[in-house]
Amino acid sequence: MEPKVEATQPQFRSGISGANPVEMGLGFDEIHGLISAAPGTGGSSFTALLELPPPQAVELLVKEDFPVKPMPPPIFPSNIALIDRASKFSVFASADNSPESTNILSASSSMKLDLVKQEPLESDSHPNSSSPAVSNQSLKSNKRKEREKKVKESNKKSKKVVANEASEDSGEKLPYVHVRARRGQATDSHSLAERARREKINARMKLLQELVPGCNKISGTAMVLDEIINHVQALQRQVEFLSMRLAAVNPRIDFNLDALLAGEGGSSIDNSYPGTFAPSIWSEGQINGSRQHQYQQPWHFEGLHQPSWGREEDTSNFITPETSLLSYDSPANSASLHSSHLKMEL
Amino acid sequence: MKERMPNSSALMKQEFLKKWIKGLQIYSSFKKEMTIFERKKAIKLSADVAIASTRNASTHWSRALMSDVSTDDANHAAKIVVAQISGRKVEKYSSSKGLMMTCSNKILRRSRVASRCRRTRGVGTSVKARSIARKVVKNRTRVLKSLVPGGQEMDGVCLIKETLDYIASLRVQVDVMRHLAAAAERLDPPQRSIL
Repeated sequence: MEPKVEATQPQFRSGISGANPVEMGLGFDEIHGLISAAPGTGGSSFTALLELPPPQAVELLVKEDFPVKPMPPPIFPSNIALIDRASKFSVFASADNSPESTNILSASSSMKLDLVKQEPLESDSHPNSSSPAVSNQSLKSNKRKEREKKVKESNKKSKKVVANEASEDSGEKLPYVHVRARRGQATDSHSLAERARREKINARMKLLQELVPGCNKISGTAMVLDEIINHVQALQRQVEFLSMRLAAVNPRIDFNLDALLAGEGGSSIDNSYPGTFAPSIWSEGQINGSRQHQYQQPWHFEGLHQPSWGREEDTSNFITPETSLLSYDSPANSASLHSSHLKMEL
Repeated sequence: MKERMPNSSALMKQEFLKKWIKGLQIYSSFKKEMTIFERKKAIKLSADVAIASTRNASTHWSRALMSDVSTDDANHAAKIVVAQISGRKVEKYSSSKGLMMTCSNKILRRSRVASRCRRTRGVGTSVKARSIARKVVKNRTRVLKSLVPGGQEMDGVCLIKETLDYIASLRVQVDVMRHLAAAAERLDPPQRSIL
């Protein structure tokens, strides 16, 4: 049955990518952006994992009466083992919990069935045979309910529905987070809520791990937190040092703007660099020395967009001075600038 | 929350740079001659306000940062900077809520400690490692709260979310500042006499 599960996974992914999950909390989409910029294969796998389980569970366990169905038509599990595996994926959003889960799942159908509200079963077209009909059906009704809730929530990290509904206000866009009590654990709403909270925290910590360099190999919340703290402190110190550096460069606080302006509004572009530049690029020889304190005019962004140079590419590629400044960080060459250095690297 | 494109960091950098320079201009118009330390403070403050405003007050830390700056009565220029850059008035950020949160946190903490004592009394040394780990995590969370602006009033989930965003923004800030510093130093080597 294993290959069957794997085969269904890519299918789900394609289905998921169309229906974008509403972002879980703040940084999800932008972390996507950030991580895709950085070497982020690890990130994509994690986020894929997060997105994957509920829809996969949804899909593996079929239900036809839902009008809204973003997924392609599912493949029916014809075996209780497959259902168990699928339900395993659905319950756990973080990998740490999965070992815990495997013991539970085999008993899950029998354990919590009495607690689960039995929905009236519609006519099932999927070939569920062999396994005890009752447990199978009630398991299916679990999944159905779960899927129902998911469709309503239209959201990602949902868990299974239980009769003693620990519906907490997650504080995000979801009104409910339905949590299943695992075997051998307390079923009161407090611990369920706590567990949901903990799992949320763990998921976020994973995201953080990928953002902070060098955290991928560390396991354990304490170590990861340590790294995060170090990283934040280092970044803050860097800001301090850099602002000190900038303050030391020039007596005037907006020095660079004037220099830039001088470069722009100014006149002749030196012959010291190849003439095939995009016009917004200034050369060092042009600005060095003479222009420092001479220009007092107020500096406007709009003014800079008027090209006074020879050639101009189309305006979409227009590199404003500040961005060319940002791309100019090669300390090597002082006299002549090469266009490759001054490409907009932002 | 706006959808972030792949080159969102580039957009953020540009936005940050614009706002930062705007703040610097305000400062330079405000006060002609500044010592190096004043300059440094002004630069840093403008940068912080600029990076916070790129978030458009959608995150806790940005709101806390802006309100901290603007309610600092010793620094009038700062307030103007904030007002200009953010484009709106920034009032004090939920101080009452903070107070309530800390009060309720204390009560919660007391009750949790009590329950934990009751629970772990007869268990033995096997859970000692767990409790130590918990303490370590708690300590570090406290440190993190002190680092992230406005962190005192956040719970665990929120804190991590905010830290994520804060780290990303700090990176943008550092990147832009570093480039600017490098370029400026190339143009205009710093005078040794100042330092």
